[in-house]
Amino acid sequence: MLVLTRKEDESIMIGDNIEIKVLELRENQVKIGIEAPRSIPVHRKEIYLSIKAENEEAARVEPPKEIPVIQPNKGDPKDGSTH
Amino acid sequence: MKLQTTRFGEIEIDESQILLFVKPILGFQNCQKFILLPGPKDSPLWWLQSVEDGTLAFLLLETLQVLQDYQVPFTPQDLHELQATSPQEISIYTLLVVPEDPTKIRTNLRAPIVINAKTRLAKQMVLDRTDYPVQWFLAQPQNEQPTDRQEV
Repeated sequence: MLVLTRKEDESIMIGDNIEIKVLELRENQVKIGIEAPRSIPVHRKEIYLSIKAENEEAARVEPPKEIPVIQPNKGDPKDGSTH
Repeated sequence: MKLQTTRFGEIEIDESQILLFVKPILGFQNCQKFILLPGPKDSPLWWLQSVEDGTLAFLLLETLQVLQDYQVPFTPQDLHELQATSPQEISIYTLLVVPEDPTKIRTNLRAPIVINAKTRLAKQMVLDRTDYPVQWFLAQPQNEQPTDRQEV
């Protein structure tokens, strides 16, 4: 891993069009600004991990189990979505 | 071709209907080929059965059938990956989790499964710049404004 030391308001360029800027340093938190083209997805890593865990839960579904009969709901999602 | 599955036994599938995942379902990097099988009658559910692993299947929800306002912002790159010329060609599904407790039935609005039926290309998207939750509970009335919820 490449390790660089930066101060507040200093940046790192990744390629020509991705800029990572240290906006604010607090006690044990750092606020980071990211400028990147819309085509580059930017995520907190926890999101990836939670999606992976949820995918693994989804793969445990079995037909003998009661599969909910979810009726198409043409109404407002606020009415609840199951009936 | 014939396919051995743990959930449906031996099934006959049409090879031309096999979907190729250009980006994997996270956690299942080794499985790229799937087939869609109809879910319970009169429900907006489909089975996504792995062709490479007979033990692997997911339940897909036609999300727009239950949540009309759900939006997947496709980028030009997404369209390119699925070889689609417009977002209208792409079908949107989300994975359903069905635990023992029926009130905990949920779907992942943050990472939809998107399929171009014409080119048979598919992928799991991870939406950024949205607040759609990874766990959206179908049974609970507090799902009133999913886009306003905190991310998980």
